[in-house]
Amino acid sequence: MLEHLGEKLILHVTLGNFSFSFDIITVIMSWIVIIVLVVIALILRRGLGQDIEEKPSRTQAVLESLMDLLKGQLTSSFSSDKLARELFPFVSTIFMFVLVSNWLSVIPYCESPTRDLNVTLSLALLVFVMSQLLAVRMRGGIKYLKGFLEPYPFMLPLNIVSEIAKPVSHSFRLFGNTFGGAILVTVVSAKFAPVVVPAALNAFYGLFVGAIQAFVFAILTVAYINIAVES
Amino acid sequence: MEEAQNTVGQISGADIATAAKYLAAGFVMGIGAIGSAIGEGMVAAHALDGMARQPEMEGALLRTMVLGQAITESTGIYSLVVAIVLLFVV
Repeated sequence: MLEHLGEKLILHVTLGNFSFSFDIITVIMSWIVIIVLVVIALILRRGLGQDIEEKPSRTQAVLESLMDLLKGQLTSSFSSDKLARELFPFVSTIFMFVLVSNWLSVIPYCESPTRDLNVTLSLALLVFVMSQLLAVRMRGGIKYLKGFLEPYPFMLPLNIVSEIAKPVSHSFRLFGNTFGGAILVTVVSAKFAPVVVPAALNAFYGLFVGAIQAFVFAILTVAYINIAVES
Repeated sequence: MEEAQNTVGQISGADIATAAKYLAAGFVMGIGAIGSAIGEGMVAAHALDGMARQPEMEGALLRTMVLGQAITESTGIYSLVVAIVLLFVV
């Protein structure tokens, strides 16, 4: 079991002068996460959209309280209500994607797509581009560029590095947590206690740490967007 | 590798490299964990101080605490990534 640790199934595709490499399992698992989310959404959508006067159905009541919880936790750190209303769908989508992909790792033979640095890095780059574009839109291009020269012009390299460090730390945090947990579970189940302990460890790392990390990822998304828009 | 193991009393360069790899991974994880452990402990301690003083602020404090700990944790995660790279990639 341990000798296969870290092995990947890579698909190499060459198109003319370009060659691409795909980690097949990551791609398949990401699609499974997307399909799970879409199917859940389609199932839960039935029974919604009724009259306001009627008593809300059970699904609707549960969904509304869940959405209220998510909204209260995620959007209360946005600097303005307008920003919160605009970006809540984006942030909650990222949260749900990361949450479901972390939780999928408790199913045997399922590998969480967030175990791959490419997935977390692309999510973090998405957030990075989003925050920079929002900063340009909110503050204007010249003011945005001037922000790099503050407080003194010779701080320019430092400011650029601090901007680049954000997506790097954002992605490595999620990747390190999921990958470290997966390695620990594999090592323990192969070398020390193959019976009950791995299941408990898997539940701890998959469900508990996975939920915390998904929440942290979403909160940090909010924080980075806030910093970029405000400063 | 096999040749080096068969000869007694001679240590090849590959042996030293392997030993250094494992040693470095251990040191990276051990020393790297100190900083984030101290940092996270301080964050939790001060959040608890605040919660004890103002129990009604618990929700906001908890969220900020988790966020602060996640940011503090990133140096520990970096050392974990470096240790993984040392063990499995180098």
